[in-house]
Amino acid sequence: MSDLKSVYQHSPAVVTRKTGNEYVLVPVANNIADMNSVFTLNETGAFIWEHIDGKRCVKELIEALMEEYETDEKTASEDVFSFLGEMKKYLIIND
Amino acid sequence: MRSYSLNIAGYIIRFESADGGPDLVPSERFLRNICSNSDPDVMVNVHAGKLSLPRGAKMVFNAPYVEEVNGIAEKKRDRFWSVHKHHNDLFIKTLFPLSSFRKKAVLKYSLSAPEWDLWIDGAGTGTDPMEYPLDGLILYYLTVIKGDILIHASGINQSSRGYLFSGVSGKGKSTMAKLWDKAGAKVIHDDRLIIRSNGSGYKMYNTPVYNNDEPSESPLDKIFLIGHGKRNEIIPVSGASGVSLIMANCIQHNWDPKIVARLLGSVSIMCTSIPAARLLFRPDRSVIDYILENE
Repeated sequence: MSDLKSVYQHSPAVVTRKTGNEYVLVPVANNIADMNSVFTLNETGAFIWEHIDGKRCVKELIEALMEEYETDEKTASEDVFSFLGEMKKYLIIND
Repeated sequence: MRSYSLNIAGYIIRFESADGGPDLVPSERFLRNICSNSDPDVMVNVHAGKLSLPRGAKMVFNAPYVEEVNGIAEKKRDRFWSVHKHHNDLFIKTLFPLSSFRKKAVLKYSLSAPEWDLWIDGAGTGTDPMEYPLDGLILYYLTVIKGDILIHASGINQSSRGYLFSGVSGKGKSTMAKLWDKAGAKVIHDDRLIIRSNGSGYKMYNTPVYNNDEPSESPLDKIFLIGHGKRNEIIPVSGASGVSLIMANCIQHNWDPKIVARLLGSVSIMCTSIPAARLLFRPDRSVIDYILENE
């Protein structure tokens, strides 16, 4: 369970490539059944993904999002926690 | 035969039976691909008998045997083929579900060395070293080595324009190929294609699947990601969405991040020069007129 102090890093079990302001994300798989899962991160998702670096905590991710998109804390917080929830398979929590 | 070469999608694959190895008997679907080129992209030495994997070899990828019944994939058994890694050596272990003999094989292959070894256990006096599923596996790893793309797609050429229609099972690849065939276009294939860059553009190639498959190729001008619809509709896709949609239809063994990154790079670069669009279509002649009008 993550909280504002949690620190995340990218899992090595995923390969990403930036295209414009978005990312394509392809999970590494060991079974043919999982082969064709490919994800696209939109601009906001790409911003959060890029700021997940194993050093910044969740609170800092929210603050960075608020500053970049001039949004309020509630919206930014919902966006970050929603992103972390959806992407938890491709993230490693450090604490 | 003791040796022969195949030219598939421009890849030269040479098979040689090792001392004591089986006679090599290519299936009918490969006869039109036999060539005299002796400078292969990969050389496969074929041995009779069993190769035990080295102790400590780790299975990195597993494919169950799946049959499609009325468009629905049904798992028939857990083990079909699998990829194993031991230090820098790679191995594919496979069964041959369509063979009338109880054969097994191990392919020792490499993503950097052009000489591979294939052990076939239960081959009898003669065997096809490209029998299903080895054909798809050998071709797939050649595309990995060359930075090319193996994709679930049908492809056609109409008036020197090459259109590729990609989708997984049930999306209408064969239907689309039949419609274009009726309209007089050249069908490259209705199920699986290899896409290769030739420096100035891209070409799509068929691979032998059916006994009457002639080697066939076409320049590639546009990619459609297809699905059935109530009306014909083209929705252009670009950027990350286009790359994602195409990647999802590529044949890929994503056990190694380097393999994933290579394919992702190839698809991304292709998407900068080949336009892509989603195509919802009605399965009749109207979709051909619609595409040609919109070109």
